[in-house]
Amino acid sequence: MARNITLIVNGVKREVEIEDNELLLDVLREKLKVKSVKAACWRGECGACTILLNGEPVKSCIVLAAEADGSEITTVEGLIKDGELSPIQRAFIENGALQCGFCTPAFTLFCHYILSTRPDITEEELREELSGIICRCGTYKQIIRAVMQAKKHYKK
Amino acid sequence: MSFGAPYLTLPSFKYVKPKTLREVLEFLAEHGEDAKIMAGGVAVIDFLKERLTEADYIVDIKGIEELGGIKYEENKGLTMGSTITLYSLRESRIIREKYSALHEALKTLDPILIHRATIGGNICEAFPWMDTVPPLLVFDAELNIISLKGKRKVKLKDFIKGTAEIDLNPDEILESIFVPEPPVNSKSKYVKVLAKSEFGVVNIACLVSNPVDPSKRIVKLAYGAASPTPTLVPQVEEIFRREAPLNKLIEEATSVVLETVSPMTDIHASEEYRRYLIDVLTRKILFELLTAD
Repeated sequence: MARNITLIVNGVKREVEIEDNELLLDVLREKLKVKSVKAACWRGECGACTILLNGEPVKSCIVLAAEADGSEITTVEGLIKDGELSPIQRAFIENGALQCGFCTPAFTLFCHYILSTRPDITEEELREELSGIICRCGTYKQIIRAVMQAKKHYKK
Repeated sequence: MSFGAPYLTLPSFKYVKPKTLREVLEFLAEHGEDAKIMAGGVAVIDFLKERLTEADYIVDIKGIEELGGIKYEENKGLTMGSTITLYSLRESRIIREKYSALHEALKTLDPILIHRATIGGNICEAFPWMDTVPPLLVFDAELNIISLKGKRKVKLKDFIKGTAEIDLNPDEILESIFVPEPPVNSKSKYVKVLAKSEFGVVNIACLVSNPVDPSKRIVKLAYGAASPTPTLVPQVEEIFRREAPLNKLIEEATSVVLETVSPMTDIHASEEYRRYLIDVLTRKILFELLTAD
């Protein structure tokens, strides 16, 4: 069944027609053209499609678009404020925390979430928390370094 | 979950989101046979994608007040709404302090998926390796089930009947999970061995109370991924009530466990390897908890 839903994507209200059996991932990528949300495993394993749904990290390949009606969605583009990159984005660049870049939008966004909610996180705790996203190039070391560097910007 | 390459699209169904518990129950009373309940969707959406299940209706029960929340009553126990997320449970201080085996199990799960996955979903999925089940078994969890006809209670150990088979009628839903206050002076622990996926090859939950006094000693052991369903081994409790050297009791308990479980061979591990792990880890976890001060 087709229905109209409203999504607030990175602060912008978007209306879109969807089917009940459509995934939020597909609606974001194909209908709203938010291409930083990557599609890879399609079963909640790799984490490349991670977004913030009403502030909580979720893997959008296992969320129905219909469920998200009225929700606020943040993708990596939403971290940019007044044309300036956020501290975590800068730290990723400065530490070369990527190789092919496919997982980078998800990692950057999720690391932003982690630092926003747990600014005192230790390196050991961070390793555990990052296990929901896979970097096939294996840049975990640089990602951890980037998060530890950006940490000071998130402390109140 | 990975049973093979998933389809990239879902089969067609109608998405239904009732606003109240009453509406959920009324809908299920009428369409229960053709409906699947969804809370976090972690399992249901995946199963639909893999064509392991089908439904005319997907009933979204998340956000319904009566099915959420967590409530602890001193000396009585903990009640968890079925749709509370595993993330909220992982972050709960009460669970960390009183139900450590459950906390440790929650810590092994995907840190992103747990923002959606729910305790009710984890139980009702009823696969052998569901991580919250062995800890809930050693804590003697009881489930509250509700339908338009009324409420009933069932022990978790009787609720899971087989792989992906549960004691729940199409018009019923799991309302909440109750875990009694753990026995006094008790400690609990969870061990999980991982192979190539996030699912355990063997999961063990153990609870020990009053380790030095055989007359008051309580030892409970439950296993995940070791049988077609998560398994509590109740005979262990009697063994440890006897007066005998610890190493003899541990030896005896381990052999009873190995007679009770029936591990299978799959892509993650062979039956033989699972048996070996159960043997070694049972001794280890018992020794650790029985000799702790």
